[in-house]
Amino acid sequence: MPFTGKSGKFSAKINTVTVGTGDKAITIGGENVLPFYTFDDAIANAPKVGIEITDGGMDNEPECVKKYYEGCSTAVDMAKKAATFEGVDFLSIRLEGGDPNGENKPTEELVQILKDIADAVDLPLVVCGCKNVEKDGELLDKASSALAGKNVIVLSAREEDYKTIGASAGLAYKQIVGAESAVDINLAKQLNVLLTQLGVNGQSIVMNVGSAAAGYGFEYVVSTMDRVKAAALSQSDATLQMPIITPVASEVWGVKEAMASEADMPEWGSLEERAVDMEIETAAAVLASGSNAVILRHPESVKTISQLIKELV
Amino acid sequence: MALKGLDIFKLSPKKNCKECGSPTCMAFSMKVAQGSASIDACPYFSEDAKAALNEATAPPMKTIKVGAGDKEMSLGGETVLFRHEKTFVSRTRYAVSLCNCMDDAAIEAKLASIPQVDYERIGERMYVEMIYVNYSADAGVEKYLEIVKKAAALDRVLILGCEDPEVAKQALALVKDSKPVLNGANASNYEAMNAVAQEAGVALGVQGADINELYDTVAALEKLGNKNLLIDAGTASIKDAFATAVQFRRAAIKDGNRTCGYPSIVRADRLAHGNAHLQAALLSLFTMKYGSIVVVDEMTYAEALPLYGLRQNLFTDPQKPMKVEPGIYPLNGADKDSICVTTVDFALTYFVVSGELERSGVPCNLIINDAGGLSVLTSWAAGKFSANTIAKFFEEQDIAGKVNSRKLVIPGKVAVLKGELEAKLPGWEIIIAPNEAVQLVKFMKDLTA
Amino acid sequence: MTLFDVVFSGNDTVYGLTESAINDAIAKYGADKAVAFPDTAYSLPCYYAVTGTKVGNLGELKEALGVVKTLMTREQKLNDAFMSGVATALCAEFIEVLKYIDGAAPYEAPCYGHLGDPVIRELGVPLVTGDIPGVAVILGAAPTAEEGVALVKSYQAQGILVTLVGGIIDQCEELGYKTGANVRVIPLGKEVTSVIHAVSVAIRAALIFGNIKPGDAAGLMDYTMKRVPAFVNAFAPLDAVIVACGAGAIALGFPVITNEETFKVPKSLIVQKDVSKFNATSLEARDIKIKITNIDIPVAFASAFEGEIIRRGDMQVEFDGSRVDCFELVTTKDMAEVEDHKIEVIGPDLDGFEVGTKHSIAYVVEVAGKRMQSDFEPVIERKFHSYLNCVEGMMHTGQRDMIRIRVSKETFNAGFRLKHLGEVLYAKVKSEFAAVVDKCQVMIYTDDAMCTKLRHELATPVFDKRDERLDTLTDEGVDVYYSCIMCQAFSPSHVCVVTPERLGLCGAVSWLDAKATNELDPQGPCQVITKERVIDERIGEYEDVNEAVKKFSQGALEDVSLYSIIEKPMTSCGCFECICGIEPLSNGVCIANREYAGMTPIGMTFPELASMTGGGVQTPGFMGHGKHFISSKKFMKAEGGVKRIVWMPKELKEQVAERLNATAKELYGIDNFTDMIGDETVAEDPETLLAFLEEKGHPALSMEPMM
Repeated sequence: MPFTGKSGKFSAKINTVTVGTGDKAITIGGENVLPFYTFDDAIANAPKVGIEITDGGMDNEPECVKKYYEGCSTAVDMAKKAATFEGVDFLSIRLEGGDPNGENKPTEELVQILKDIADAVDLPLVVCGCKNVEKDGELLDKASSALAGKNVIVLSAREEDYKTIGASAGLAYKQIVGAESAVDINLAKQLNVLLTQLGVNGQSIVMNVGSAAAGYGFEYVVSTMDRVKAAALSQSDATLQMPIITPVASEVWGVKEAMASEADMPEWGSLEERAVDMEIETAAAVLASGSNAVILRHPESVKTISQLIKELV
Repeated sequence: MALKGLDIFKLSPKKNCKECGSPTCMAFSMKVAQGSASIDACPYFSEDAKAALNEATAPPMKTIKVGAGDKEMSLGGETVLFRHEKTFVSRTRYAVSLCNCMDDAAIEAKLASIPQVDYERIGERMYVEMIYVNYSADAGVEKYLEIVKKAAALDRVLILGCEDPEVAKQALALVKDSKPVLNGANASNYEAMNAVAQEAGVALGVQGADINELYDTVAALEKLGNKNLLIDAGTASIKDAFATAVQFRRAAIKDGNRTCGYPSIVRADRLAHGNAHLQAALLSLFTMKYGSIVVVDEMTYAEALPLYGLRQNLFTDPQKPMKVEPGIYPLNGADKDSICVTTVDFALTYFVVSGELERSGVPCNLIINDAGGLSVLTSWAAGKFSANTIAKFFEEQDIAGKVNSRKLVIPGKVAVLKGELEAKLPGWEIIIAPNEAVQLVKFMKDLTA
Repeated sequence: MTLFDVVFSGNDTVYGLTESAINDAIAKYGADKAVAFPDTAYSLPCYYAVTGTKVGNLGELKEALGVVKTLMTREQKLNDAFMSGVATALCAEFIEVLKYIDGAAPYEAPCYGHLGDPVIRELGVPLVTGDIPGVAVILGAAPTAEEGVALVKSYQAQGILVTLVGGIIDQCEELGYKTGANVRVIPLGKEVTSVIHAVSVAIRAALIFGNIKPGDAAGLMDYTMKRVPAFVNAFAPLDAVIVACGAGAIALGFPVITNEETFKVPKSLIVQKDVSKFNATSLEARDIKIKITNIDIPVAFASAFEGEIIRRGDMQVEFDGSRVDCFELVTTKDMAEVEDHKIEVIGPDLDGFEVGTKHSIAYVVEVAGKRMQSDFEPVIERKFHSYLNCVEGMMHTGQRDMIRIRVSKETFNAGFRLKHLGEVLYAKVKSEFAAVVDKCQVMIYTDDAMCTKLRHELATPVFDKRDERLDTLTDEGVDVYYSCIMCQAFSPSHVCVVTPERLGLCGAVSWLDAKATNELDPQGPCQVITKERVIDERIGEYEDVNEAVKKFSQGALEDVSLYSIIEKPMTSCGCFECICGIEPLSNGVCIANREYAGMTPIGMTFPELASMTGGGVQTPGFMGHGKHFISSKKFMKAEGGVKRIVWMPKELKEQVAERLNATAKELYGIDNFTDMIGDETVAEDPETLLAFLEEKGHPALSMEPMM
C-alpha cells in the first residue's frame, strides 16, 4: 500500500508581482501551496534572491565582502559587479547614508546614485530607505520619481509614512510598494488595508513582515510568516496575499556572531564564515517560512541560497 | 483532537485522594489533558476509562526516547505543525557523521573536532549531541567496531548507520546500553534488522528508495510489533528528503496516520555533497521543517551559532518567553565606574538592547532585572518592573556595592518610573533612554560625549 | 431669474466665446493644427477625464465642443445646472488651450497658467497624505487688498495650497506679498477662464492618484468630491460666467463661499458676508482638519517627563482637588458653540498666586465634531493625565474632581502660564482625536467661587450621568459588540469579544473603550461585531459573533459563547486579571487573581491555572476574565451566575465586595453574599471549603450540578 497523504493545495493563491522591466524582470508569488511544498502542486515562481549594496559603496562593506568587489570604487561599479555574481536575481540599494542621525547625505546625491545604477545595470531594483521616517518620506518619494518606469520595489512604507510612500511610489510613479510591519500579522494586514484604501493597487504591494537574525527572537518571524501564509491561502484573506520580501542582510550583519572579531572570539573561528552562515541559515529559515524573495549581502550566501532554491523547486 | 480536561475529569474517581501527587482530581485531569501527567499515575481510574483515555489522548506522533542516563533525549511527540498552534516539544538534534571508509587521520581529526562546539546560550548547553557512525562494507567490520568504540567514548548518543544485520548486531553488542539508534532497515532487510533492534532494545531507523517503499516498510515493521522507529528522509535529493519529512509529519498530525508518526532522520551530510554552505542551509531548512535528527559532516562554530539560536527560538513555548539570568553584564569593557543601563530579563529585549549598546562602543554596565521574562511594557503593566521591584533588585544584588557609578539609564517606555525611582534609589541620577533600542547608539554616544 | 437661469446664461456666454474662438483659430491655422497643453500626458485633462477622448488638433477640438453642447440641457433641475457648470469648465479649458498653440507661453510672471504633470505629482503626494490639507481657489478681488492678502496668508499658514485667479493677484502684488509654487500660493491667471488650471490639478490628481479611468465621469466626480479637499472663495461681484463656473466646481464637490448676497445652496453655495471668516467657513464646509504639529509652550513636552515628581520645595503652585474644588472635564457642544483654538483663563493666572500656595482649578475642554459622541468624553478625559505629565515641570495625578497638579518654579520661570496648559490640551486632543474632534476650545477657571459652582452644577452631574450610563449599559441594550485582538502578537488565536457587561479579560478594555478605539482607528484591533442571529440565548451564542471570531482568529476558533464557562467558553490570551475554574466538590467556581500567590481549592495555583487557560485555546470549565466582570450579571450566566462563586482570595473579595453584593442582592435577594464565599484564610483545599460553605448555606450547594 503506497503512501497516501492529503494534498495541501489551496484554492487561493499568493499574488503575482513582476519587478523590473525587460528580459531581466522577475516574477514572485503566484503559489497556491506552502513554501516548497512541490508535492502538493508546482511552485508557480521560485523565490528570488537579491544582493544588497549601499550608497556608501565600498566604505560600508565589511572586509570579507569587499574582496568580491575588487577594483570597484563607487556604488555604481559595485552594482555592475554584483550583477555578475552567480545567483543574483535582483539588486537592492540601501540608502543608509541618508539617515539624519548618521551621514545625513542630501536626497539629491542619493537619488543621483540610484539613477546612475539604474542606467548601468538592467537587473530589477529594490530601493531601501534609511529607516528614518521623515527622511524616507522625502528620499523614497524622489527615488520613486527618478526611477519612474523602472518598476522597482520601494522599501518601505510603514505605518508612520505609508501615505507619503504609498502615494508617491504606488500612485504617482506606479512602482511596487513594500509594506513594512513589525512581526505581527495584524499590523501587516492593517497596513495592506490602509495602503489599498489610499488607492494603491493590492497587486502592486509586497510585504516585509519584519525579520530577525536566527537566534534573535526569530520565533516571532516564523509564526508571523506561518500565520500570514495560512490566512492568505487557507482563509483566502486577500489583504494578506501579497508576496513577502525579507531584507535578511540588514538583520544579520549587525549581530555579534557576524561582527565580533577573531581576536575577541578566537574559539569561534573565521569571521567571514560566521557571517556567511548566519546569513545563509537565516535566509533558509525565512524562505522555509514563506518569503518570496530575500535580500542578502555576501556573494557566497547569494550563491548558496540560490542553489538551495533550485534544489527545492 | 486532544481531550479537554473537563472530559477527563468526568471519568475520574473524584476522590481527591492526592495519591497521584496532585491535590485534586480536577488538577490531575487538567495535567493529563495538558500532557504533563500520565493517566497511569492514578490508581483509581477504571481500566475501561484508562483505555478510552489512552486512545484519545495518545499523541498522533510517537515520542521516541534515545540515549541513556543523563544523555537520554526525546524525539518526536509533536502535536502541531506550526509553533504558534502550541509548543514544539522535542527540539531537533544534530549529529556529526563518521565512516569507517575514512582514513584514520580524518577520523581522529573529526573525533577531536566534535567536542569543540560546546557553549551555553540562555541557560541551554549547545553542543553536538549525537554522532552518526556509518558502516561501509568495503572498509571492514573490524575498523567499524573500532570507530563505534571511539565514538562512544565521546559520550554522545550514537546513530549506527548500518544496513547489515550481522554487523549491526556486533556493534550493538558494544554500545546497546547507551541506547543508540540503529539506522538501516529497508525493504529487503527489515525483518532481520527488526530482530537485532528489538533484541538490543534500540530505536530503528527505516529507509526506502522512495516515500512509498519507506511507508510500506514502516507498516511492515509495525506489523512485526515494532513501534520504536525513526524515518530516514532519504538521500536521493534535497527535494525528495524535504517532501518525505514534510509529508510524513503532516500525514501523522493532520490526518492522524500513525504509521507516519515517527521522528525523522535527515542526512544533510549526504544531501549537501560536500558543500559546507549548502549544508548550513539544509541544517536551517530541516530544523524548520521537520527534521528530528539532522546529520552533518561537521559542526563548526560558524554553523552552530545561528543554528542553535534558531533552534532555541523555534522550540520555545509561544506563551513562555525566554529569560536571561538577571544580574550585571559589563559591556564594551565596562568597569565599576561605567554608567549603568537597566532593562528587563526578556531574552529578546536583552539581545536587542545589549546588541545596540555594544554597537555604541560605550562601556556600560547592563543591569538585567528579574521581571519574569516579560518585555518592558508588559512587565511594567504586570507590576514586575516597577520602581519598587527595581529598588528591591538593586538591594538584593548589592548593585551600589558593586558599581561606583550612580547614573542609571532606564527604558524610555517606562519614563514614568523616573520620579519614584529617584525616591527609592537615593543618590542615583535617573536618565531616560529613547523609546526604541535602535536609538541607543546615538543616545549613549551623546550621553558620554 | 432663478439660480438655474443664471448658470445657463453664464454657460451660454462662455460657449459662444469658445465657439467663435475655435472658429477663428481654425480660420487662422487650419483644422489640422495641433493643440496641446505643455508637460502633460493627459491631452486636455478635463475633457479627457470626463469623456475618455484625447483631443489633438483644432478639428477635434471643434468636435469636442459638439460633445460639450450635449451637456448643456436646459431643464430647471439641479443636474442640468451641474452639467452646464461642467460644460462651462470644459469651454474654459478649450479657450485656454488655444493660447498655447505653437508652443506659445501665454502667461508671464507671476502667473503660471497651466501646471505640468510633474507639478501635479509633486503636489499630489502631500495632498494624498494630508500634508496639504486643502486647496483653496480664490477668485476675484477682495473688498480691500489687505483683506485679500490676510485670507491668502491664513490658508498658507495652515499648509493649504492656494490658487489665485483674477483681481486677488493684483492685490497680492500691490502689497508685495510673495507668491509662487515654492510657497504654495500659485497665481494662475487674471482672466476667469484660467480657473480651469486649478480644476485641471484636481482632475489629474484623480487620474494619477485615484486610478480613475478617463471617461468614467461618475467615478471622477466621486473621487474629487471625496478625496480632493478643494473649495472656492469667490469675491463679489459675481457675474453669470463666474456663477456658471461655480456650478462646475460644485459638481466636482467643491463648495463655493462668497461674500455676495446671492442664492444659497446648503453646503455648496454659501454666503459669508464677513471675509475674515472665509477661512473658518471654508474649512468647515469642506470638512478640512488642520494637523497640529507643535505645541506652543515655553518648556519641553516629551514622554520622558511623564514620571517626573515635583517636590514641595520646587513647586511654584499647586492645585489640589482633595482640599479645594477642582475638576477636569471634556464636554461635547454644537459646532456653532465652539470656536476652535480658543483658550480662555477666568480668574488669576499662575503669576497671581504666591509661591508654594494651593488653589482651585477647573478646566473644561469643549469639543465639537460631526462624529463626536458623548461616550468618547471619558476616553479623551482619561488621557489628560498623560498629556499634562509630559509637560516638563508639571505633575498631574488623579482624575475627574480628584485631580492634583503641581507646577515647578523652573517651569513657571520659563514663562509657563495657564494658557499653556490649554495649549497642551488643545493640541493633543485635536491631534490624537482628529477622527472625532473637529473643533476644540479650552476654558480654564481659577476663580474659587466659579470652581465651586461649576464643580457642583456642571461637573458632578456629568460624572453621575456617566456612572449611570456605565451601570445601565447592558448587552441587550446595544446593537453591536467589539472584538479586541491587541494580544494576538503573543496569543495568535485569541479574540476577546467585548460587551457592555463583559469587559476585556485584561480588565483594561471596556465596551466604551473598544467603541472609541474603533472610531478612532477603524482598521485597528477593535472591530464591530454584530449580534443579530442568535443561536442560543442562554449561553449567549450568536452566528455573527462566531463568524467574527473565526475571522479574527484566522480560523483557529469556530464558536464561542459569551456567558458560559463550560460550553464553548471564551478563550484567554494570557493577560487575564483573574481566572475562574470549576471546583467540583462544592458545585461552584473558584476565582484567583494574578496577585494571589497561594493555592486554590481547585488544587492549582494562579500560574498553573494560567498555563492551562491561556494561549487562545478553549478550556471548558476555566476562563480568564477581568476583575470588574466578577460582579457582572452576565458572569457565567449560563451556569446560574455569580452565586456559583464559592471561593476567592481575601484581597480580591474585598475589592469586589460592594458591587458583587449588590448584584447578588438584585439577582437573588441574598444579603452580604461575599460573607458566604470562602478565601485562603478559610480553606485552600476543597474539603475544608465545602464544610465552610455548608455552614454558611452557600447557594451553589443546592444548585443544578455543573457537570
